[in-house]
Amino acid sequence: MTSQVIEGGAPSRGRAFLASFIKNILPAVPLLLIVGFFFLFPIARLIYVSFLSNENTFTIDNFKTAVQEPYRTGFLNSIKIGVFSAAIAAFPGAIAAYFIESRGSSKLRRTIAVMSGVLANTGGVPLAFMFYAALGIQGFLTKFLKYLGWDLYAGTFSLGSFIGLLVVYLYFQLPLMVIVFSPAIVSLRREWSEAARNLGASQFNYWIRIGIPLLFPSFIASFLLLFASGFSAYATANALTVGNLPLTPLQIGGLLDGNVSAAQLNLGKALGVVMIVISACAVIPYLAIQRRSAKWQKR
Amino acid sequence: MSSKSLSLRNISKRFGNVIALDNFNLEVGVGELVALLGPSGCGKTTALRVVAGLEHQDAGTVLVADKNISDVPAHKRNMGMVFQAYSLFPNLTVEENVAFGLQMRKVSKHLRLKKAHELLDLVGLDSQSKRFTHQLSGGQQQRVALARALAFEPEILLLDEPLSALDAQVRVNLREEIRRLQLSLGTTTLFVTHDQEEAMAISDRVGVMNSGVLEQIDTPDALYNKPASSFVASFVGTMNRIPAHISDGMVEIFGSKVVALKRGNENGKVHALIRPESISVVATTAQGNAKVLTRSFMGASSNIICQTSDGTIVQSLMTSASTGDLLPGSSVQLRVLSSEVLVANV
Amino acid sequence: MAKALRVRFQPPLAVTLLILGFFVFIPMVSAFEYSIRTPLTGGYGWTHYLWAIREEEFFHYIFRSGWLAGLTVLITLIVLVPTMTWLHVSKSPIRPLIDGISLLPLVIPVVAFAVGAQISFPEFVQNTVLELPFLYFVLALPYAYRSLDIGLNSIPLKTITEAARSAGANWWRTITAVIVPVIRGSVMATIALTFALSLGEYTLTVLLHWDTFPTWVTFVAQDNILGAIAISMMSLIIPFLILTVITLFVPERSMQGRK
Repeated sequence: MTSQVIEGGAPSRGRAFLASFIKNILPAVPLLLIVGFFFLFPIARLIYVSFLSNENTFTIDNFKTAVQEPYRTGFLNSIKIGVFSAAIAAFPGAIAAYFIESRGSSKLRRTIAVMSGVLANTGGVPLAFMFYAALGIQGFLTKFLKYLGWDLYAGTFSLGSFIGLLVVYLYFQLPLMVIVFSPAIVSLRREWSEAARNLGASQFNYWIRIGIPLLFPSFIASFLLLFASGFSAYATANALTVGNLPLTPLQIGGLLDGNVSAAQLNLGKALGVVMIVISACAVIPYLAIQRRSAKWQKR
Repeated sequence: MSSKSLSLRNISKRFGNVIALDNFNLEVGVGELVALLGPSGCGKTTALRVVAGLEHQDAGTVLVADKNISDVPAHKRNMGMVFQAYSLFPNLTVEENVAFGLQMRKVSKHLRLKKAHELLDLVGLDSQSKRFTHQLSGGQQQRVALARALAFEPEILLLDEPLSALDAQVRVNLREEIRRLQLSLGTTTLFVTHDQEEAMAISDRVGVMNSGVLEQIDTPDALYNKPASSFVASFVGTMNRIPAHISDGMVEIFGSKVVALKRGNENGKVHALIRPESISVVATTAQGNAKVLTRSFMGASSNIICQTSDGTIVQSLMTSASTGDLLPGSSVQLRVLSSEVLVANV
Repeated sequence: MAKALRVRFQPPLAVTLLILGFFVFIPMVSAFEYSIRTPLTGGYGWTHYLWAIREEEFFHYIFRSGWLAGLTVLITLIVLVPTMTWLHVSKSPIRPLIDGISLLPLVIPVVAFAVGAQISFPEFVQNTVLELPFLYFVLALPYAYRSLDIGLNSIPLKTITEAARSAGANWWRTITAVIVPVIRGSVMATIALTFALSLGEYTLTVLLHWDTFPTWVTFVAQDNILGAIAISMMSLIIPFLILTVITLFVPERSMQGRK
C-alpha cells in the first residue's frame, strides 16, 4: 500500500508536469519558435558578435571605434534628426489629433486614421522620390516657392541635407503623431470637462489642472516613439542622401554592403547594438507609459 | 444657509428633429429634493443639463432665487453636480478632487483641505483621502463625487442618475445616504433617475416626464394613489388594465359596480386601472370568474397571476397567509377591493 | 442621445483639416505634376507611367512582392490568431512573456535587426527568399498583436468559446467558425497592416540583398529617375486612394465587427 503510493508518485509528478506543459505552454510553441529563431536568436547573436575581435576573441574595441569619428557624428546626426523631427511634428500632430478626435464625425476619424496609417507606414522609398519630384531643383513646389520669392536653392539647401531630410521626415512623423496620440484624446472623458466646468473651472483652468496633466504622459510617450522612428529611419535617407550626411543607419548599411571597409569586421554589429540601446531608451518608456495610462482608458 | 430655490420657466430644447424639452416648467423649493422620473429619452437629463448650464435652452428661462441665470456660463453657476459615473479626475487624489471646486474659488489650501476632509468624513471616506480614484470601488467613487459636488456649498445640487452604474445593495445604501446628507445640509436638489423605486424612496416630490413634458409632479404618495394620467398610472408602480364597461359614472368589473374616478368615455368600453393590492383572489369550489396561472411567494406577500374567463391577465398582491390554497389551475373568484377606480380610454 | 446629432460646422476642425490637406496633398500633387512632364515636347503626358507598366520587371516584382506579402499574412493568421485566442482564454503564466516579446520588435531598429539576421541564419535559410515572410512577420508583430488584442478584449471571449465548445465544436472549428468572424474587424485590420508593411518593406530586404518591388524602384532610379518617380507615385497614391475610398463607403459595422 505504502510502496504503491511512492511508486505512483514519480510518474504522476512527471505526468503533472507534462499536463501543465501542454496546458500552459504548448499552444504558444509555434509562435515562440518563429520569434525565437527569426528574431531573438539574430539579436542575441548580433550582441555576441559585437564583442568579438577579428580573431574571434572577446573585445570591446568595436564599441570604442563605434563612438569615435566618423561614427560619433553619425550618432549625433541621427539623434539630432530624431529629436528635431519629433519635436517639430509632436505639437502640431497633437493639436490636429485633438480637433479631429474631439470634433470630427466618426467617418472623418476613420478616414484620417487610414490616411495617416498609409502615410506613416508606406513612406520609405516612394516618399523619397515623391519629395524629389516636389522639392527637387526642378520640382513644382520649388518653382512655385521661387515664384513667390523664396528661392530654396539659393543657399545650401538640398533634399539630402539635414534640413531637407528633416522636411521629408515630417511627412511621415506628423501622421505618426496623429496615430499614436489619438487614443489619448479619445480617453479624455467628456464628464471630466463637464465636471470641471460645473465645479467652477474656466476652459483655461480645466486644461491647466486636468486636460494637460492627463495628456502629458501620452504626449511624452508619443514624442519618444517619434524620436525612435526618426532616429532609425533608413530607406528615405538612403534614397535622398549621397554620402554627404553621416547617419548611423546609413553607416551600418555601408559596412554591411561592404561599400565601406573597416579594420574591424564586427564594427557594424557594435553600431547596431548602440542603436538598439538608444532606441530602447525611447521605446521602453513609451511602452511603459502606454500601459500605465491604459488603466484610465479601460473603464 | 446658501441653498436657493430653482425655477424653470417655459424651457424648450431640441436636438435636430428631436424635441427634448417642450415648454417645460418646474419649481423646486428651498431645501427640497425633487426627482425627475421618466423613461430614457424623455428629456429629464436635458432638463438637468440646462439647469447646470451644460446645454443652453432654445427658449425659456432658468431662475435661481428668482434671479435669471439663463446666460450665466456653467462654471459661474454655483451648482454641484454628480454624474452617472467616472467623472472623478484620475490625475488627482480623492481629497484634491473634493477640494477642486474650492480651489477654483480661490479658497486657501489649508481651508479647502479642511473642508474636503469634513465632507469626506460625512460620506465615510476620510481614510481614503490620499488615494487615487481608480483605486476605489464604484460606490466609493460616487461617494467622493457627492462630497466633491457639496464641498463648495452649492446653491443647488444636481444628481444625474448617480446610482445607475452601481450594484443593487450599494445603490440602496447610497440613496439613503444622499437623502441623509441632503436633509442635514438642507441643499435644494434636483435628482434625475429612471428608477421609480429610487425616486419614490428619497424625494419630497417626484415629477414624471414623458416626451419632453412634465406629466405630473406630486408627492410619491399622491403620485401612486392619484395618478393624473394613464401614463403616470402605468409608469409608477404596477397597474392592471382590465377591459370594462362604463355607464353613468359606474364601471362594472368582475360582476360588481364601482365608481369611476376619472372619466374618459362616459359610456362604453374603457380600461379600468387597478393596483395589484386592490384585487383579492379567493378560491372557490363553484365556477369562479378566473383561473390561477402562477403564484410567486415573496415572503410576507405573494404575487398571484390569474386569467379571467375572457382571457385578461390580472395580477394581485396579497398577504401570503391568505394564499395557501391558490394553486395553479384552481378556480377562483376575483374582486375589486377599492370603492373607486381610475379608468382610461381603450 | 444628444451627442450623435451634434455634428455641426467646427471652425477649428475645418482649419486643422485645411492645413493637413495642404501638408499632405501639395507635395503629392506637385510630384504628380513632375511625373507627367515629357521633357522632349515640354508638355504633359503619361510617358513615364506607360514606360513603367510596359516594363516586364514591373509586373514581375509586383507579383513577387505580392506573394511574399500574402505569405506573411498567412503566417500571421495561422500562428498568431490561435495563439492569441488561447492566451486570452487560458490563464497561462507565460502570457506576460509573450506580450513582452511581441512588442520587442518596436525596440529594435530595422537596420540593427538586418545586421543580426545577416550573420545568424544557416545557409539553407539565407539562400531562400522564403526567409523574408518570416522576417516581415516579426516586423509586423507588434502592430498585428495589438490589433488582435483590441479585438479579443472587446468580446466576451470566454463565454463565446465555452458556448462553442459545449455545442460540440473542436478548437479549430471554434477559432475559424466562431472567433474569427466575431473579431473580423480587427482580423481585417491585421491583414491590411501586415500586407501593407510587407509590400513596402525596404530596409531589411535591401540589406539582405533580396530584390522586391521597393528595391527595384531604387534600382530603376539609378538611370531613369522619372520612371522611378512615376512608379513611386503609383505605389503611394493608388493604395492611398483605394483605402480612403473603402473607409468612406464601407459601413462602419462591417469594418469594426464590434466595438
